[in-house]
Order: sequence, then C-alpha cells, then structure tokens
Amino acid sequence: MARILLVEDNEMNRDMLSRRLTRKGFEVETAVDGREGVEMAKTGEYDLILMDMSLPEIDGWEATRQLRAAPDTERTPIVALTAHAMAGDREKALEAGCDDYDTKPIELDRLLSKINALLENSP
Amino acid sequence: MPRSATARARAKPGKSAAAHRQAALLRLSTEIAAAQDEEAVYRSVVSGLHDEALGYNFLGVFLLDSESGDRVLQASIGWPDVPPDWRVHRGEGLSEQALLDGELHYTPDVTRESKYLPSLSTGSELDVPLRVDGQTIGVLVVESAEPNAFGDEDFEILAAAANQAAIAIGRARLLTAERQRADEHKALLDTMAVLSAELELSRVLQAVLERAVSLLGVTGGEVAIYEEQAQELVVVASQDIGKDSTGTRLKPGEGAMGTVARTHEPIIIPSYAEWLGRSTKYSDVTIHSVMAAPLLIGRRLVGAIATVHSDPARVFGPEDMRLLNLFAPQAAVAIENARLYTEAQRQKQYFEELLQNSPVAIVTLDREYRIVSCNPNFERLFGYSSSEAVGRNLDELITTEATRSEAEQYTREALDRAVHGIGRRRRKDGTLVDVEVLGVPVMVDGERVGLMGLYHDITELLRARQQAESANNAKSQFLASMSHELRTPLNAIIGYSEMLQEEAEDLGHAEFGGDLQKIHTAGRHLLSLINNVLDLSKIEAGRMELHLEDFDANAMLDDVVTTVRPLVDKNSNRLQVERADSLGIMRADLTKVRQMLLNLLSNACKFTENGKITLAAERGEDGGREIVTFSVTDTGIGMTPEQMDRLFEAFSQAEASTTSKYGGTGLGLAITRSFCDMMGGDVQVVSALGEGSTFTIRLPAAVEAVPAT
Repeated sequence: MARILLVEDNEMNRDMLSRRLTRKGFEVETAVDGREGVEMAKTGEYDLILMDMSLPEIDGWEATRQLRAAPDTERTPIVALTAHAMAGDREKALEAGCDDYDTKPIELDRLLSKINALLENSP
Repeated sequence: MPRSATARARAKPGKSAAAHRQAALLRLSTEIAAAQDEEAVYRSVVSGLHDEALGYNFLGVFLLDSESGDRVLQASIGWPDVPPDWRVHRGEGLSEQALLDGELHYTPDVTRESKYLPSLSTGSELDVPLRVDGQTIGVLVVESAEPNAFGDEDFEILAAAANQAAIAIGRARLLTAERQRADEHKALLDTMAVLSAELELSRVLQAVLERAVSLLGVTGGEVAIYEEQAQELVVVASQDIGKDSTGTRLKPGEGAMGTVARTHEPIIIPSYAEWLGRSTKYSDVTIHSVMAAPLLIGRRLVGAIATVHSDPARVFGPEDMRLLNLFAPQAAVAIENARLYTEAQRQKQYFEELLQNSPVAIVTLDREYRIVSCNPNFERLFGYSSSEAVGRNLDELITTEATRSEAEQYTREALDRAVHGIGRRRRKDGTLVDVEVLGVPVMVDGERVGLMGLYHDITELLRARQQAESANNAKSQFLASMSHELRTPLNAIIGYSEMLQEEAEDLGHAEFGGDLQKIHTAGRHLLSLINNVLDLSKIEAGRMELHLEDFDANAMLDDVVTTVRPLVDKNSNRLQVERADSLGIMRADLTKVRQMLLNLLSNACKFTENGKITLAAERGEDGGREIVTFSVTDTGIGMTPEQMDRLFEAFSQAEASTTSKYGGTGLGLAITRSFCDMMGGDVQVVSALGEGSTFTIRLPAAVEAVPAT
C-alpha cells in the first residue's frame, strides 16, 4: 500500500483529497504547512508527496528544494499542486525539483494517472 | 564790352571758313551727345573744336578749383608738354580774366601780355567762360599759332560751343550724382530695418520722382505700385501734374501707366488728349505729352513711372527715354525692397506671435548661455519677468544645486545638437517644478548664434501617471485576491460534490447521483465563468503574459481529448481525432493553447447533438515559417454570416437567446482570439446555418517572445 504525504494548508481541500485518495486505497497523511511537510517527509518514509505550492511558513517550492537536498528524500516523487491559470508555475515547480504537477481544482482521474505513473517508475 | 574792345576781325576765305565752323560745331554736338560723363564731355569739347584750318590749333578746358582758386586742366589738345592735371595758379595766365568776369576775352598777340605763360609758340588766344546754372565753373582756352587769328565769327561759334558744353557738363554732373544716389539708396534700402516700410517707401519714391522730374526738365510725374492681389496700380508719389493723384487706382491697360504695366515696354505719347488709351481719371488736368515706363524686377511688374509735359512746345525724345530708364530701376528696387521688408516684418511678427502664444515656455540664449529673450509662458512657469531674466545665465537662474551640473551639461550640448530630457527646475519663489526640456541650437546662415530652450511643465503629467499606476496596481491586486477568494469556496463545492457522488455510489445510494452531478456541473461552470472573466480583464489591462515553453504537441492533444471526453459524451456526439503521427515539439504557452482548444471543443459539444466532432492537427509551413494548425469541426447548428461577424467580440454569443439555452459567458472566443494574437497566430471560422462550423487556429510552431509592453 503506497504511502502518500499531502501537504496542503486549506482545510477543506486537505480533507477532500485525503479522503478521496484513501478511498482509492492509498495510505494518506497530511501536513498543514511547508515546515511541517518537510519535517514529516524526512522521517515518514513516504512513497510520494503531493505538495501545494502556496503554503505558509515555507512555500512549496522552498520545501521541495529542501527535500531534494536531504539524502532521505532526494528521490521521493513529488507532485506539485498549483492554482489554475498560473502559467509558469509548472516550470517553476519542475525547476525546484518536482517530478510532475497538476492544477486545482483536482480532477481525480487525471491526478491518479500521474500518481500511478510515478509510483510505477520509482524504485 | 571787353570782347568788342579787344577784338579785331581778321579776314578769312569766307565760305570755306563758315563751312569749317559749321562742321566743327556739328562735330562738337555729336561728340558731346555721346559723352556719358563729365570727363568725356571735356574730351569731346577739345577734340570736336580742334581745327587747323580755322586756326584752332591748341585747345584746353580748365576748371576752377574753388578752394585754391587755381585752374586745373581737364582736357587739352595740341599742347604736348603739359601734365594731364596741369594747375595754373591763381593770378597767373591770361585765362583767369574770363573766370573772374564771366566774359569772353580775346588776346590778339600774346607776346605783348606780361601775364602770358610762355609754354607754347602761340600767336593769339581766346578765353571762353564755361557757365553752368549761372556760375562760371571754368574756361575754354583756344589758341592759334598766328597772332590776330580770331574774329567775330569765331567769338560766336565758340560762345555757342561753350554753351553746349556747359549744358552737357550740367547734365553729366546730374547723371553722376543720380547714379551715386541710386547706389546709396540701394544700400540704404538693403539695410533698412527701423523705419516703417510703407512710410519709407513713399518717401523714397517721392524723392526718386522729384529728381527724375528735375533732370528731365518735365512739368511733373507720378509713380505707382502694382498691387498683385488687386491686380491694380496705385499711385503713391505725385508731383506737379496739376493735382495730387496719390491713391489713384489704375487697371492694367488704363492710361499711360496701365499700358506700360500690360506691355512691360516704355511708351511716349506725344499728344495725350488725342490718345485713345487715355484715362478719364486725368481729364481734369492739362497734360500735353506723356512718357511712361514699367518698373520691373526681372520680368515681374512691381509698378510704373510716368512723366508729363503740360507745355505743348516740349516733346519727349530718345534721350529722355534713356534718362527715364535710369530712374526706373531705382524705383523698382525701392518697391521690391519695401515688399521684402514688409514680408520679413510679417514673418517676424508671425514667429513672435507663435512664440508669445506658445503653450510651451521658450527661452533663447546667446553663446555665453545668457538669456536673450523669453516668452510669457516662461515668465509664468518660472515666475521671472522678461526684464528680470534677460541677460542672466539661464542655469544660474532656474536650477537647484542638485540639478545644476546636469542642466549645464544639457545647455552645453544644446549648442551643438538637439537635446531632450526630463528634469527638475526651481522657480523664483524657490518651489520646484518637474519639466520636460528640449534644447536646440539656433543657426542663422550656417552660423551658430545661440540656442533655444523649451520647457514643458510635467508636474501634472507625472502625478497623473503615478495615480494611474497605483490605480492599476490596486486593480491587479483586487483581481488576484478575488480570483483566490472566489475559487477557494468553489473548489470545496466542486470537490465535495464529486466526492459525495463517489461515496453515494460506493454506499449504494445511486438515487443521489443525479442531483450531486448537477451541483458538480454548476460548480464547474461557475469556475470557468470566473476564470474567463479574470482572463479577459487581464487581457484588457494588458497584463496577460505569455509563458513560453517547449512541449510535445501530441501529448498536449491527448491531454485535451481526455479532458473533453465527458462533454463529448454528454450530447451523444462522436469525437474523431485526425493528426499527423508526430506533430513534434512546439514552443508556445501550453496552458493557453490547451485553454483555446478546450474552448473550441466545448463549444462544438455544446452546439451539436448526435453529431460528429472532428479535432484535426497538422504541422506545415506558411511564408517560410513553421506553423501548427488545429481545427475543430462540428455538425451542429451552425451560424448565419451576421452571427459570425460578432463572434469574436467579448460578451457576444450569437443571440441572447443562445445564452439561456446553451449557457456560457460569450467570452471564450474573445479570449481565444486574444491568445492567438499574443502568440502571433490567428483563428478563423467557416460556418453554414444548420450544417455546422469549423474553427481553425494557426500558431507558429515556435512562438517568439514579445517584449513586455
């Protein structure tokens, strides 16, 4: 069972996505800001991280850079979640070290196909 | 009489001597007539009278030098050893007597006279005074080698010769003076700048006329100016024609001056009263004969001059015409100069008016950067009156310590070339003003005489710009936060309704599915409306940016097809995708390309039921650049040409009724067209009512970045 860390500050979004993913069979844990996300990721041994980009404390791009710099998480797949129409966010996310990105509002099927592709390819 | 007292007749062969005398007089007349100046007159007197047969062996013309009282030789013949300007001093020689009393003196035997200067082997001497205007100006000396050579006939002929010579001398002197005056006048007119042109012109023309009347010995005359606009002559100078004709207007062809104005040729009218061309405007004065000449500058008519005789005994001849032609150029030049002067004055006034009324503050400087003049707006802008400013160094006057060196730099450069900039200057009251400055060198005839500075107060402009910028920032801020604030709750609605649908299915409550789907669809619709409105306001504010990236066009299409699939199915349509195996890599704004294609596809789905929707894509070339063409064809309701006209305008669905039936904002196509424009492509539509539509988007395969505006 794949373990997913969802880093998302908006309570409703966090609740929805974690419940939907759980129902699809994932084991989901959540963090409410960038700092907590980085701390949990370093100790939690997650198979994949869903990272909102606009986060308090440490934003998603900085959090991703920190995770990529840490030996335990440097190869953990990270999917960036960004708001609609923020073109350029994708490039910024990939530059920071994300493996893929998706836009909110979440279309579950689309997100699932990205998650599954990354999980299949990861070691 | 001294002549009778000293004269003794000497017999000569009668008829032949008389013939000789007549011949000598004729010769003299002819030669004098050809003489153009005084010296030529003297030469022609001595050479014309020289006649060995008559015993006129040695001849000389002396003029009195009124200062020293000496007689100075002007011309001589037969005297080999005298210098050309031989002086006979006061009290010496025989010829002085004729000068003193103005009478002819005959000395039959000079050897008996103590006063005789023995320079020649002379027998007898005749001294004839030369009288001009009642004054004796010199003496004609005629000497014979023989004593007792001359008699009464000689006295008569030589007196007549002296008379002729005197007239010729008088005329030559006048002519010389006239030419000099003409030169002086031209010089005067050329530099004339102070006096009013018109006043000066009529004075000059009156003076020209007066001299012409006096030299020609006519009764009177007049000068007229040709007014080009009215095409009429106007008399501006009038003298002794029986009335003051100043102000009389003549059409070309009317009267003597009107005639020469038309023909450009001078004319002599011997009997004016009988002349068919006479003007009724002169019927109240006695004019016997008229001579008129046109006043021309090159071939352009500027006026006319006329002289009249009221004495029937006087007639005009070729010599008079020659003299009149001396005056015509003077008058013409005077008129032309006055015209040029008036024009220059008008120009000057015109430019002064421009300067005075210019909304820009203007100052002129000399080469030492001192203020020469400034206009009222300069006074208003900086608070210095013209008299306070003139003579001051510009930069000392209106700069602050902080801007001094920058301003001086401008001023120095402006002496060579135009400079333009924005700066801050100080008013007289110490307050500061933001100005746009333009400095330009002032060149006159290729010489740099100074520079001109133009100041435009931009305080208001800067303030307005600042306000506009902050208002624009506020608007952007508002849009950004609104977009966030609206989307967050909406995301919850969309997400929870979708989730509930899934849960309802899982828990066996399929009966809720339909309602939940409606919430979900409405939420998605609202979201797309918000997104479109935000996009359009960004586009209209010029704040929509392109984020160019390289992407695989096929993968992008796959993604679009996946996204649009539920919409296709909704109205029982079929989607057919026609594309080349490899569209390759495109460089464009991926998000916007996706958005455009989804726009077109969702429109196609919306307006088609039980039909076919075709998405086609191909890569090709157009005008040397690679392009990618996407087209979306449906078999839906189609459009009329009128509907297509307004298709790409914002908030315009084909009809208001369409909105209620099909939904949507009417913004999708306006956004699509703007995105196409931004990326250097275009979008077109072909449609027929009831048969469906085809929308085609053409984009460069590699979109070029546009510099931010």
